[in-house]
Amino acid sequence: MKKKCNCCKLPWWSKLLIATTGIFGLLFTVYFFNLDMKLTAMMEPWLLKWYDHVDRDKHL
Amino acid sequence: MAKKIGSEALGRFYKEGSKVRTRREWRGVKDTAYDFSRWLVIMGTLGKFIIKPRNMKAMLRYRWMANYLAVPMMVDRHTQGLRGEYLRMCHAEQDLIIDDVAKLLDKLFKGDRRIGNDEEFSKKVVLVDENEMTAVMMGFPMLEALSRETPSTYVPVLLNQHSMEYYMDIAEEFGLAPDVCPMPEAEAGVSINDDAPVLGACAIQCNTTCDGSLLGNGVISKRLELEDGIPVFQLAAPLRHREDDVQEYAAQEIRNAIAFIEKHTGAKWDWDAYFECAKRVNLATRCRQEWLDMNKTDYPQVFGSNLALYTETNYMAICGRVPAFAKVDRKLTKLAEQAYKKKKMMAKEYRHRAIIWGVQSHYYFDFLLWLVNCWGIAPLTDMLSMVSTKEIAEVDTPENREQAYYDMAWLTENMIMRNRTHGGYKVLLDELWDFVEEFNADMVILWEHMSCKALDGMHGMFEDRAREKGVNLVWVEHDLFDPRIISRQGVRDQINNYMRTVMREEPLDPSLEVLPDDQSW
Ligand code: SF4
Repeated sequence: MKKKCNCCKLPWWSKLLIATTGIFGLLFTVYFFNLDMKLTAMMEPWLLKWYDHVDRDKHL
Repeated sequence: MAKKIGSEALGRFYKEGSKVRTRREWRGVKDTAYDFSRWLVIMGTLGKFIIKPRNMKAMLRYRWMANYLAVPMMVDRHTQGLRGEYLRMCHAEQDLIIDDVAKLLDKLFKGDRRIGNDEEFSKKVVLVDENEMTAVMMGFPMLEALSRETPSTYVPVLLNQHSMEYYMDIAEEFGLAPDVCPMPEAEAGVSINDDAPVLGACAIQCNTTCDGSLLGNGVISKRLELEDGIPVFQLAAPLRHREDDVQEYAAQEIRNAIAFIEKHTGAKWDWDAYFECAKRVNLATRCRQEWLDMNKTDYPQVFGSNLALYTETNYMAICGRVPAFAKVDRKLTKLAEQAYKKKKMMAKEYRHRAIIWGVQSHYYFDFLLWLVNCWGIAPLTDMLSMVSTKEIAEVDTPENREQAYYDMAWLTENMIMRNRTHGGYKVLLDELWDFVEEFNADMVILWEHMSCKALDGMHGMFEDRAREKGVNLVWVEHDLFDPRIISRQGVRDQINNYMRTVMREEPLDPSLEVLPDDQSW
């Protein structure tokens, strides 16, 4: 018979609490260390290169 | 303790060569938690926007859309060092503006022939200029007044200082003179590069703000009318806006514009909607007046970029048409009153009381906050926030329906910037010194936008008056949208030099004096 691990035995509300704390911790780390902006800053050069290849009717 | 104002050296978040800052500020538990919660809301707004396939398609089609990657950073720049009520005021405004711009983009792409191509929706769209009061749309609640220039040129410069360099170069490549004002030049560049969404039943262009913007409008309307088949009305508001003899003509221009919109959209002007909007315009005027009155005291509250950015949006682009702004007007007033009662200050010390005059640099809009944080200079008000304080008719009577045309004309003539850069030296020069006295200011910081003929011609007269009055006058040169000509540090250096050599002062926060932000968004 398979043994249940300790975390499976926890009541639902403590699982919810752990999940919420984990998500909060993760989001707060992203926020505080500005990881969102660091990621988007890495995306910008890629996007700018992409725009160079978009077809345009460029004229006055 | 980071909870205290000025407890963190704000300059240490900048890193040489980086677009973004190393981390966000710790403002004490309560304010950091608040700022974090607002960051979550902003991320939610952005997530909701980009999850729509048509918005994603637009993101990959329009080069200027890349600048919207920097939205959270713009908010961070404008909240630097803020605590308590000032932080809440800034978020109340910025979060609403972000939401409003996201809705504007969403609607533009819905009707855009290249993206959503919703023809029924497009028939309800009236395109308006970026620098145009939307007063003529106050009685058309069934239509959508959408500006293409606001999200493609104006907002991107606030998000990313380098955003318009590409488009200015395109305009020059096609023969536009490089000494033209970068604002109309960049707008023309977007149109030449085929980067403006195509939609709408018709468009209203306005001769705001000067011959520079007329040039840009010419390039844009040629494409709109001759290629896209979208008829354009030229609303020519008088430049001598303080003269009585131009008002009848100005009111007639408004009647003509309304008739043009009715003809091309089939919609009918709605007086109930107009007077509802008029009430909100008056509410915004009263609130702004109350903030300005507070700024005349020792405890200014809604000032600096908190005043400038919000006034520009609310007064001009919104013009009473969006109820959410009335709610924020009240909220800001409540927060300001609360802080005023407690004699709160935005910085730990105000050493100088300044009036900021001239057309401000758009690639360095948070300069106003830098002034407070670095040197303790309180920017009590700025030229673009000193707009009309006249209340307009708001009760629906036969006389007021006639008066309404004059009121809409008055608002259009008194659009931000043009109400000071045009209309004679009284509005640009004389009234500045009246404000210096009213606000008990000891310093005037005069933006010298080097491509703006409207202001450059009066350089000597400003200097003469400042000498006469014994007021410290600091010139700050810039090129509006182009940080390649004068960088952000170039802007700061002009203040740093004045403060050190003439005033012989030391900065409040020395870490802010020189910042490695040339590559920054
Ligand atoms: S800044 Fe000066 S030149 Fe540029 S649009 Fe305004 S008034 Fe015209």
